[in-house]
Amino acid sequence: MIAEGDKAYVLFPLGEKRFALPAEAVTELARPDSLQTFPHRTPLLTGVLVRRGRIVPVCDVAQVLVGPAAPPRKFYLIAKCKFDSRHELTAVPVTGECELASAARAPLTGNEPRYIDGLLAMGDERVAIVALDKLISAEAPA
Amino acid sequence: MKGSPKTRSQAATAQAREDVIVFAVCGFRFAIAAAAVKEIRGMEGLQAFNLGGINSRIAKLAYTLERAGTTYFVVDAARHFCLAQAQPSRVMILRNSPTAVLVDSTDRIMEISALHALPRVFTHEERGWYRGLAVVNGVVVMPVVNHHAFLNKSELEALRAGLERVRGAVTV
Repeated sequence: MIAEGDKAYVLFPLGEKRFALPAEAVTELARPDSLQTFPHRTPLLTGVLVRRGRIVPVCDVAQVLVGPAAPPRKFYLIAKCKFDSRHELTAVPVTGECELASAARAPLTGNEPRYIDGLLAMGDERVAIVALDKLISAEAPA
Repeated sequence: MKGSPKTRSQAATAQAREDVIVFAVCGFRFAIAAAAVKEIRGMEGLQAFNLGGINSRIAKLAYTLERAGTTYFVVDAARHFCLAQAQPSRVMILRNSPTAVLVDSTDRIMEISALHALPRVFTHEERGWYRGLAVVNGVVVMPVVNHHAFLNKSELEALRAGLERVRGAVTV
């Protein structure tokens, strides 16, 4: 149940940790499709998927959020991401099933990276809300 | 979580039909506009490229090729795309440019029905390398190269000037 004033988020696992994206940004949780690659130089991007005739880039944010030791990614969370004032879909590989949840925001500690937009208080757990566009642009400046 | 309406940039797809030549470099397949290619040939006649300091400035240049009175500058496609060592066997001579491209193999001519814009999340050199992406048979994504990027205008000017310098030195 979503309390009035609480926003909905999609919680996604990356190894032992969970992160969140605003639910309105998430369009789909997809099974692993065939990832297609071609030469490029942008960090974090591992390739593209074709979903219903559309080309969706795959951005492996686990490298930044949990480091190289993240377990194998099992699903793709597909979310809208803002680039140059336009929204595009981006697929984020995640390591397990996702959960739709609502929670009040907890205050930021001030030590979070710029791409963490807020924290969710889920019992004792603090789940970081990820700003995908900021994360990608921080890691891959043009 | 249902599918969202089409976002603006991902809807940016040119619907024009176009013939392309499929070629391979280091295991990757690419497409190039068929109209941009004048000739495809073997590697015979290639001469090691040596224009003094220009070699280090344009490291992707591998050879020159003399053809019908024109000197073509032969770009190693593997170096252009920052790939590992390739096994080139074919040279694509471009039309309306003194540029040729060394590739591992050429495959076939095919028609693409749409050119999808490169997603904006790609922000590095690839934005210049590719005109966009083609989806072949509904499943295979193939980058369509920007043939003007193999040697850009300033690189070509530097090469022409270097070539004239060398030829002048030889005739004197």
